[in-house]
Amino acid sequence: MSDRAPTAAVRLAAWRGPLVWLALLLALAFGMPTLEPVLRGIESDTRQVVYAQAGLPSLLANHLLVVGVASLLAVALGVGAAVLVTRPAGRDFLPLVAQFASMGQTFPPVAVLALAVPVLGFGTWPIIVALLLYGLLPIVRNTLAGLEGIDPGVQEAARGMGMGGAQRLWQVELPLAAPVILAGIRTSVTVNIATAALGATVGASNLGAPIISGIVNGNTAYVLQGAVLIGLLALTVDSAFARLTPARG
Amino acid sequence: MTRRDALPVNRVVPALSLAAAAAWLALASVSVAPNRIVPGTAYAASELLGWPLAGVACLPLLGLAALAWRPHRGRLRLALALNLLLLMALPAWVALAGALRLDPDQPQARLGLGPAVWLLLFCLVLLTIELRTRLALPAWSGWLLPVPILGAWVLAAPWLGSLALWQEYRGRSGQFAEALLDHLLLVGSAVGASLVLGAAIALAMRRDARLERLGFTLLNFLQTIPSLALFGLLLAPLAWLSARLDWLAALGVSGIGWAPAFLALLGYSLLPMVRNTFVALAEVDPGVLESARGMGMGPGQVFWQVRLPLALPVVLEGVRITTVQAIGLTAVAALIGAGGLGTFIFQGLGQAAMDLVLLGALPILAMALVADALLGALTRRLDHRTALRQGVTP
Repeated sequence: MSDRAPTAAVRLAAWRGPLVWLALLLALAFGMPTLEPVLRGIESDTRQVVYAQAGLPSLLANHLLVVGVASLLAVALGVGAAVLVTRPAGRDFLPLVAQFASMGQTFPPVAVLALAVPVLGFGTWPIIVALLLYGLLPIVRNTLAGLEGIDPGVQEAARGMGMGGAQRLWQVELPLAAPVILAGIRTSVTVNIATAALGATVGASNLGAPIISGIVNGNTAYVLQGAVLIGLLALTVDSAFARLTPARG
Repeated sequence: MTRRDALPVNRVVPALSLAAAAAWLALASVSVAPNRIVPGTAYAASELLGWPLAGVACLPLLGLAALAWRPHRGRLRLALALNLLLLMALPAWVALAGALRLDPDQPQARLGLGPAVWLLLFCLVLLTIELRTRLALPAWSGWLLPVPILGAWVLAAPWLGSLALWQEYRGRSGQFAEALLDHLLLVGSAVGASLVLGAAIALAMRRDARLERLGFTLLNFLQTIPSLALFGLLLAPLAWLSARLDWLAALGVSGIGWAPAFLALLGYSLLPMVRNTFVALAEVDPGVLESARGMGMGPGQVFWQVRLPLALPVVLEGVRITTVQAIGLTAVAALIGAGGLGTFIFQGLGQAAMDLVLLGALPILAMALVADALLGALTRRLDHRTALRQGVTP
């Protein structure tokens, strides 16, 4: 903890990076129609240059909703599972869960999404489930690494102070493991933003839709709109996580 | 509190085998469709065999649970053998189910694998991993165990001709070979180029701290951009360039195809490659370097004969991460016409032909797992050797 409580202005200044990306993202999502002359310069032949199948703000909202729901569920389940298998009652399952989580990292997200569709069908929910399953792996792996990496001496000291199992978990283990867990959540969310965009190929209407539609119809202006907005969304979220994660080294 | 000295009870194997038994009884094993367009009819094991026989077929799974309940080495070995036999019996079951339900007068009929088969496969593979870990089998067993299982599928192949996945493959075996080759070429060239370029960048970064900060900021930035967006963003500038520069167009560079895919793959591959090479070169023990210099080695000799060999395992780790990542990203590159196995995935999704999706996704998955295992084994080998040369017991 710092010695003096920072003022609101200072705290806000620290978030300058993410806020700038966020402002840019929102400005482009809502103001794309005003950029029509610019886009016309890129793609002069096609009649339509601003993606109009669905408004860009609503595509952005859909994208955020899918990634948000999947990520929240993945955090709850992933951290929960990792905590469970590091308790005495669940230790049996630790080697298997740890091995599967590290092996699962090699599964390409596209392949996981593609395999989820035959099982779960088309639409928004299947994508959420696929993202949730894939997003679980980095979270489980990092939570395990964080919890297992705690100095046994610290655990012993906490036990010596008379802390019970639950108290140790909440007051010692989770706070100490938090940076590693947060890094896992960051990986999971970043990958999910990219994979959700691929969901547009299975009928989801999100920021991937303009890109796919642009590639199919040869409309570079569409591609550009989708690509810039997804890129900005990824940068906003990633820079926010970078703020939350204590700097290394 | 549990008593610590009691014989440990393993609950993992029973839990997995009971889950497998439940999937076997409750879910559809196969689906049969008269042709490619009509959705199939699903059949569970109990509908194919009748309840009594389907129940009897569960017994090996219950046996597995019983064997592992109070584990000791002998029983666990037996459980592993039983588990392997079950995995080998799976293709025979699919063939039998096909023989029971397929009409021989309909050569167009297709047999699809149901959720029960996939879940059984999943549970049994997890069981193999678990039993292997409990028995502490050596690393090479990981290469040996899949052999009989793959062998069983190959042996059953003559009876699996109507399997939908196989029919999709037979219809486009030429395309498949081409896509596989494209995929491997794209991954290989991107990883190769990023290894050379990454090493050069890492070496340059070691000389200049400002360059180091700038380089890592840029590469981190690039890594955050989702692949679909990066492919899309490269489309316009490359199309523009190839329209203006004849020699680029002659090379086959255009807004779609291999060129944007290669560039995007290279961009994504650089971060893990540069990071690992940089860290590897920086973390070589200064004492070792000092003694090499003391032996009269020149700077070039120190680099090539001491620093680089010692850094090699960590560099290889970078190659492993990069390769696995590139295999997945190349699948996405199919969307911008770069070819590769992703083509089948997106074609299949477009036609709602799920077996075509599998034809693309399963080889990609297998490729990623094999690349990971091969490069991981190579890294461990080198690590071991380096440790020996340094006089440290591994």
